[in-house]
Amino acid sequence: MKRDHEHGISRRAFLSGVATAAVSGAVGLPAKARAAGEGAFGTLVDLSLCDGCEGRDMPACVEACRTKNAGVVPEPVDPIPKPFPRGKIEDWSKKQGVTDRLTPYNYLFIQKAEVELGGAKKTVFIPRRCMHCDNPACATICPFSANHKYESGAVVIDQDICFGGAKCKEVCPWAIPERQSGVGIYLHILPTLAGNGVMFKCDLCQDLLLKGEDPVCITACPRKAMLIGPKEQILAEAERRAEAMNGYIYGKEENGGTSTLYVSPVPFELLDAAIEKGPGRPHLGKAPRKMAKTDPVAKAVMASPVIGLVAGLAAVAGARMKSGKEGDHE
Amino acid sequence: MSRQAPEGKNLVKRHGLVVLIEHWAIAISGLALILTGLFELPIARRYFITEIPGLRWSGDYIFSLWLHYAFSVVFVGASLFHVVYHGLMGHRAILPKRGDLRESWEVIKSFFGKGEEPPFAKYLPEQRLAYAGIALIIAGLIASGLVKTWKNLFAPDMDLTLVLWATWAHNLFFVLFVLAFVAHMAAILIKPNRPMIRAILTGWIRRDYAEHRHPLWIAELAGRNDHPAREQEAPTRERPPDGEAGGENPQGLS
Ligand code: HEM
Ligand code: HEM
Ligand code: SF4
Ligand code: SF4
Repeated sequence: MKRDHEHGISRRAFLSGVATAAVSGAVGLPAKARAAGEGAFGTLVDLSLCDGCEGRDMPACVEACRTKNAGVVPEPVDPIPKPFPRGKIEDWSKKQGVTDRLTPYNYLFIQKAEVELGGAKKTVFIPRRCMHCDNPACATICPFSANHKYESGAVVIDQDICFGGAKCKEVCPWAIPERQSGVGIYLHILPTLAGNGVMFKCDLCQDLLLKGEDPVCITACPRKAMLIGPKEQILAEAERRAEAMNGYIYGKEENGGTSTLYVSPVPFELLDAAIEKGPGRPHLGKAPRKMAKTDPVAKAVMASPVIGLVAGLAAVAGARMKSGKEGDHE
Repeated sequence: MSRQAPEGKNLVKRHGLVVLIEHWAIAISGLALILTGLFELPIARRYFITEIPGLRWSGDYIFSLWLHYAFSVVFVGASLFHVVYHGLMGHRAILPKRGDLRESWEVIKSFFGKGEEPPFAKYLPEQRLAYAGIALIIAGLIASGLVKTWKNLFAPDMDLTLVLWATWAHNLFFVLFVLAFVAHMAAILIKPNRPMIRAILTGWIRRDYAEHRHPLWIAELAGRNDHPAREQEAPTRERPPDGEAGGENPQGLS
């Protein structure tokens, strides 16, 4: 079976760990559950294993991802309509070959960090993509619900209804989604007044997950630096590995928790300071969940029907008491 | 709010304090919800709204969401209060009645000089219809808004079909709400309706106007009470069979 084959790879990766017995069950849910999209996945990126595929033209995961997603972005119209009033167009269609940052055509890239740890120079390679957060603002506050978190844990943009307003990018702590102008539904509505393209990012190979297969970046990695499995088991494995290497985890608390856990022997503050950051090149620093600030008042909203109801009953009781006293009623 | 018409003034009490508070709580929070809802869309920065003094925050999705929630508390609370309070008190004057559609067409024609206005009860037939319409829109906004809020708080991976329904219902009712508001403003600007503006601001309306335009309501007040202008908060002794109660805290003005 295909799934067993796929999981063979994940399993071997797990076996390279120490506590083999404890984790060998971690591999994958039954295919049926997966196909139904039940159960959340976690992924683990072990930075002690990734060597950036030095010596290859392109890192294997990046290449696999690009191959799988080739053709996802349709050909933009020419000329691309100028959005009123700013006229800012984002067109990557002539730069599809860029692989050293996130673009609408490139959902995974490798960051490089040269750090000094305990007196020794060390190079760390960090595959970067969407973190598939636990409560992703990018998805929950999309005004068209074009971006959605599935039960599988994958956060997926529906390119057919995305207007490219880039709100998701704005609220993402890492500004992951990237815009391609000149494609998508906005062209058919008010192209110069509303919308400006479509947002693109990693979808955790959701189509493969539903078939019971693993994301291609994970299967492609020659060093088995990435894993996928049931979320709790991936977390347990990340913690086990971090402890074994006396290392650190990134992605567990960030943005309120994500389904991507980086495990590194080097503290993430050092990595964050060493990597090149900027547009399309996300940081590795603190990432508080911005929406957390709205949680208390959102809970008040959920309580407001009850408040109104009780106040209404109280007012009725008050009015009846008053009329009872005046004795001319009922 | 005094219950008695200022001595010698030509006024009748039209709305009690409760109704005034309800109308303005819903109106002000509703307008604020339109604005903060618009700022949930990616428009503020694009259209330089962030450059307008005092509106810099409009580009901050998280802050405008916070405000949207805060006004929702008022909006939802006031709406539920309204339904429970007037529902249990038996206020029915503003609920649509059979024949309202036809009658309101007569009224609209009369605004354009065709034919005479029929005599009105407390509310015009179009007010009753408008009430039903806006009530439906508000119910839709609240129901879809609550689903969206729940999703943001507890269920980011809520079933996609439900999320899409809630989102698009919210967006659709938002458009309808804006249209209803514009129509509402147009309606109160129509000359014969203008004296009602005083009623929604102070609770009082000109007696000669009410006697001339709302004779059914005035007759009802008189039938129940010698001094209608004086007994506003006092409970009605008997409710007219068709529920055309008008004297006290009225009825269903949202
Ligand atoms: C006059 C009433 C209201 C208007 C005009 C209005 C309008 C809007 C608009 C235009 C949006 C942005 C589009 C979208 O995300 O769907 C929005 C979003 C939203 N509204 Fe409302 N709304 C109203 C009432 C409410 C109420 C009563 C609630 C809560 C019970 C609510 C909760 C929300 C939520 C949670 C969002 C999504 C914000 C986000 O997560 O992006 N709204 N509203
Ligand atoms: C979103 C905001 C508002 C909502 C949802 C709202 C809703 C309503 C409703 C449901 C009614 C009763 C039905 C009707 O007369 O059509 C009403 C009446 C009225 N409203 Fe509003 N309203 C809003 C804003 C305003 C504003 C800004 C004004 C400005 C003066 C206003 C003035 C009036 C007047 C004059 C009446 C008639 C009162 C009467 O019959 O004595 N409303 N409103
Ligand atoms: S990393 Fe950014 S784009 Fe990916 S799920 Fe989290 S918030 Fe959304
Ligand atoms: S999960 Fe799929 S889409 Fe995402 S980075 Fe890996 S290969 Fe690319």
